[in-house]
Amino acid sequence: MSSAATVASAAGPGRRFRWNASGSSAYWLILPLLALEAVFLVYAIVTGMAASVEGPAGGFDLSNFSQMLVDPDFWRIMGRTLVFTVLVDIIILVAGLGVALLMNWQFRGRAAVRGLLTIPWAIPEVPVAITFIFMIDPTFGVFNLLARMLPGVTQNPQWTLNPTLAMAIVIIVTVWKGFPFYSLVLLSALQAVPEELYEAAKLDGASAGRQFLHVTLPGIRPSIALLAVLAFIYSMQQFTLIWLITGGGPVDATMTLAPAIYMQAFRFYNFNYASAMAVVGLIFAAMATVAFIAVQRRLTSETP
Amino acid sequence: MSATLLPEQRASARSAADRAAALGAVLRAALILIVCFVVLFPVYWMVLNAIQPGEFSLTWPPALIPRGLEWSNFARLFEDKPIVEWLLMSTYVAAIVVVVTLIVVVPAAYALSRLRWRGRNLLGLFLLFTQIMPGAMIVAPELTLFRAFGWTDNLTMLALLHAAFVVPLCTWILKASFDAVPGEIVEAALVDGCNHWQTLFSVVLPLTRPGLVAVSVVAFFFSWNEYLFSSALITRSGLYTGSLGLATLITQLDTPLFVLMAAGVTFSVLPILFYLAIQRHILRGLTAGAVKG
Repeated sequence: MSSAATVASAAGPGRRFRWNASGSSAYWLILPLLALEAVFLVYAIVTGMAASVEGPAGGFDLSNFSQMLVDPDFWRIMGRTLVFTVLVDIIILVAGLGVALLMNWQFRGRAAVRGLLTIPWAIPEVPVAITFIFMIDPTFGVFNLLARMLPGVTQNPQWTLNPTLAMAIVIIVTVWKGFPFYSLVLLSALQAVPEELYEAAKLDGASAGRQFLHVTLPGIRPSIALLAVLAFIYSMQQFTLIWLITGGGPVDATMTLAPAIYMQAFRFYNFNYASAMAVVGLIFAAMATVAFIAVQRRLTSETP
Repeated sequence: MSATLLPEQRASARSAADRAAALGAVLRAALILIVCFVVLFPVYWMVLNAIQPGEFSLTWPPALIPRGLEWSNFARLFEDKPIVEWLLMSTYVAAIVVVVTLIVVVPAAYALSRLRWRGRNLLGLFLLFTQIMPGAMIVAPELTLFRAFGWTDNLTMLALLHAAFVVPLCTWILKASFDAVPGEIVEAALVDGCNHWQTLFSVVLPLTRPGLVAVSVVAFFFSWNEYLFSSALITRSGLYTGSLGLATLITQLDTPLFVLMAAGVTFSVLPILFYLAIQRHILRGLTAGAVKG
């Protein structure tokens, strides 16, 4: 759900209305927000960062980072995180766009279909995990029926014991749970493409395929760019589905950054080391913010 | 799909273009059905295995249609597992999250949308940053904080933490709604002698109901869904929320499958109904900004 606001913010500041109110009343208005965020978020972020530069004997010490940077496990985690986020990003955008195009057709019962196709978004993550765990059960799981249709597959695969299959499953579940949001945003972008452009293209004799390439895609490109950044951020945050379905396994094959940090902190009790990994995550998040703002800037300068 | 059954004669009487259009319509209908089937299949599978007698779920090959109905599965769930308590705890936490979020977000969104002040852009940047920060990063520091103040196993404090996570994005959503209120209306109210609070409550808020609905639903969904922080901060099983309770069922090997699935259905019903009821609002409230892009 959480992706909505950043997209909404892409609308840019509503400069339609200006007046010079006395500044101090604004600070009273944001005081509750600042208080809540300071106690429950900022404090944790700051102490987390402080813990990352604390050595085993206390005091300022960068050993967590130097240890981490030479740890092949850390780089394997980063590699897996990259594979997971990039694949989720691409697949969720393609699936999201496909379903958005479908929901954009004019047909009877369109509103109902739109509601049905976006239901996965409303289902909490834990029930989603429970359902898919059963669907990939090596003895009774319905996914085995699909696998058996492939040539050469005569036995039910061990979904969570095979590194490739386990990664494929967590990607599929993440996409399934998340794509409706991307579809809804892309649907509204599709509906905002001016009808005249399609009519002009038709007059020029453009086929449906060419209309898609030369009218639809350029029209929704800004939304796609924003959603690509968002998908990257949100898939990097994915914890619950991976944790409940594979636990990061088999042998760390699905251990991306988020579950790895959790593992360090709560299984191995390396709080400082976990914090150092978290800071790396924070740096990536900051880089994504910069990318997000750059995309947003380009959008506001492009749209009249 | 019914279009496929059109009498041959009628189709042949039409012009070639009409036939192509009809074929296109059939293909579209087929494609829509296939996509709906693929997307909804996991939902169907959860419901199917919650309502059919347990022994039919544990067969190979699995049957794709129900072989019987067994509503007592739900009776078993409600007798054997404290699902009612879990749902009550989830409701308690989510209700606090919604109320606190609205209290915090309404004035902040008003200040961001309608007032000019120093630090405004900085606050915007801060809100964006908190939103993209991976949650797993700060679980350990949050646990330290909660332990230091004795807030662990306290659902109210967990709710405040949920609110802190969801407030930044709710502020953005509501700010976009406030931006859409014509400036003249607000100006007129201020000229008539209303102060900021009166303007906010009697003029701006009544005009931004979809935004308020969207914000409440986002806050509710976030809290109802949240697992990571709840699992770290709530350890007493008597205080388990739905997410925590359901997650423990996964690891309890003696839980019958139909109880698991019935629990999943029970926990998902409320957000799904909620979502379908306000679907239009959500689409309008959440994507208002994206349209412009």
